[in-house]
Amino acid sequence: MHPILSGGKTRLSAIRHTAGLVLATAGFLTAAPAAHAVPSFARQTGQECAACHIGAYGPQLTPYGVKFKIGGYTDSDGKGGKVPLSGMVVASFTRTAKSQDPAPDKSSPNNNHSLDEASVFLAGRLSDKIGAFVQATYDGIGQRTSIDQADVRFAHTTEVAGKETVFGVSVNNNPGVQDPFNSMPVWSFPYTASALAFGQGDAATMINGGLEQRVTGVSAYTFWNNMVYAELGTYRALTPTMQSRLGLGKGDDMGHIGGNTAYWRLAVFQDLKKQAFNAGIFGLNTSVQPDRSTPGSNKFNDLGVDASYQFLGTREHVATVNTSYIRERQTRNQLVATEGADNLKGRLNEFKLNASYHYMQTWGATIGRFVTHGTSDATLYSDGFANGSPNTSGYILQADWTPWGKESSWGAPWANVRLGAQYTMYDKYNGAKTNYDGNGRDAKDNNTLFLFAWTSF
Amino acid sequence: MKMISRTLLPLLVVAAASSLSFQARAAGDVEKGKDVFATECAECHSAREGKNKKGPSLFGVVGRKAATVADASYSDGLKASGITWTPDKIDAYVTAPKKLVPGGKMKYDGLASAAERAELLAYLATLK
Repeated sequence: MHPILSGGKTRLSAIRHTAGLVLATAGFLTAAPAAHAVPSFARQTGQECAACHIGAYGPQLTPYGVKFKIGGYTDSDGKGGKVPLSGMVVASFTRTAKSQDPAPDKSSPNNNHSLDEASVFLAGRLSDKIGAFVQATYDGIGQRTSIDQADVRFAHTTEVAGKETVFGVSVNNNPGVQDPFNSMPVWSFPYTASALAFGQGDAATMINGGLEQRVTGVSAYTFWNNMVYAELGTYRALTPTMQSRLGLGKGDDMGHIGGNTAYWRLAVFQDLKKQAFNAGIFGLNTSVQPDRSTPGSNKFNDLGVDASYQFLGTREHVATVNTSYIRERQTRNQLVATEGADNLKGRLNEFKLNASYHYMQTWGATIGRFVTHGTSDATLYSDGFANGSPNTSGYILQADWTPWGKESSWGAPWANVRLGAQYTMYDKYNGAKTNYDGNGRDAKDNNTLFLFAWTSF
Repeated sequence: MKMISRTLLPLLVVAAASSLSFQARAAGDVEKGKDVFATECAECHSAREGKNKKGPSLFGVVGRKAATVADASYSDGLKASGITWTPDKIDAYVTAPKKLVPGGKMKYDGLASAAERAELLAYLATLK
């Protein structure tokens, strides 16, 4: 479970109650960062964390990490006896510029210390060609345990036109979780964030977490000549019973998704050793029927472009830039019919740009810009929004220290920790700079200081 | 004697300067080679004795018989190659691994720059 989910639900519930929305139908899930760092991969390969991750800590992948993931998590040092299990704990302190009223679920209005999440992972090689990354998480805010990100894949390497080519299949529970690059929403900065603050606004595109964990899907992919990546997949909604068995709860069922749901991805990638880059396009087309017993659905067509650049050099100075732009077209048949929206058609766009620098794979600094911009709808974006607008924008600054995870580190590859300070500044939130909620709360009141300790073993 | 001094002294100075220059250049090559190692090799290989990663430690690699590091995993192709890692063989391997060892499992496309390979070799030669 994403750390932000429980905090977000308070706001989501209010929106849902007022507008008659169902959780995921309009993608109303705040962009939720995924916190992933899996030392069992390091134990399996004999590599240090820094081989696969920028700054010696997940999830931002190096070119080696990209290839490891595409290869099905199966690469190893050739030695047996490796147990593909890992654990992870994130604890934090959150302070917002102005106390929250009402307070976040099960928390104080401000200055919250929390155990955000504790996860166990089945992560690693299961056979020569099959590997897994499956996470189960105890959400310390929501106080429940459930399935989190899951990606089980098969990968076979052969030659096509004289070039090394990987053919693979991924079975997963979130469109984009299987992506090997650093710019898809599920893997983009910030890599962890407060569960008790404001995320990146209350409106988000469907590919930005709208289906996560509530679906299961299969996709086929290929990676030719270490350069061209292509993937095509489809998804189905889990039944409420299955969601309940997986700890997700029936109450947040997003409904039924159409049989025509398609996820696709095209990218080019170059690993030049001293530097690397990738650029691509991706998409998700789906329809969601919020009420499983009543016909009527809403369509979402997401199209994204993204790119990343990494200066790697000798790994003493490492710099990265990641960006993405997602354009979502919404056709709100069900929402209009149930008076949950005024306009049949609408758009929601998301832009992200972030740059990071790491020194000695230990000291890191990242700055990010995020912008959510969409067409107005007075009913859809009513309670908690100003001007019927979903627009939110701001900056995120982060400084972090990752003392271990290198070749000669203490406790390698078992001991891993990142300590960080993150500050999020909003220049617009849910449609306005000032008084966005009608109760005098300004966007800057949501500015958030987030101090975190993120450990994995 | 004066004649000899006048003749030899400049030669000695030039020779000493050349020697120092060569040593400095060699040291420079080693430093550059260390950077090449960090960029091209260090994800999979350690320079520390006895530290195997996905690939074997490259400590003492120059002059070593291939596929002989204890506790390291090798392909059948490399085991059967009979290679001894002389500078020439290392250079050929780093240039095009699959060409020298068909069936080898090292996932590396090769280092095209002869200058960088020479610097890398200069650094590897110090690992003993």
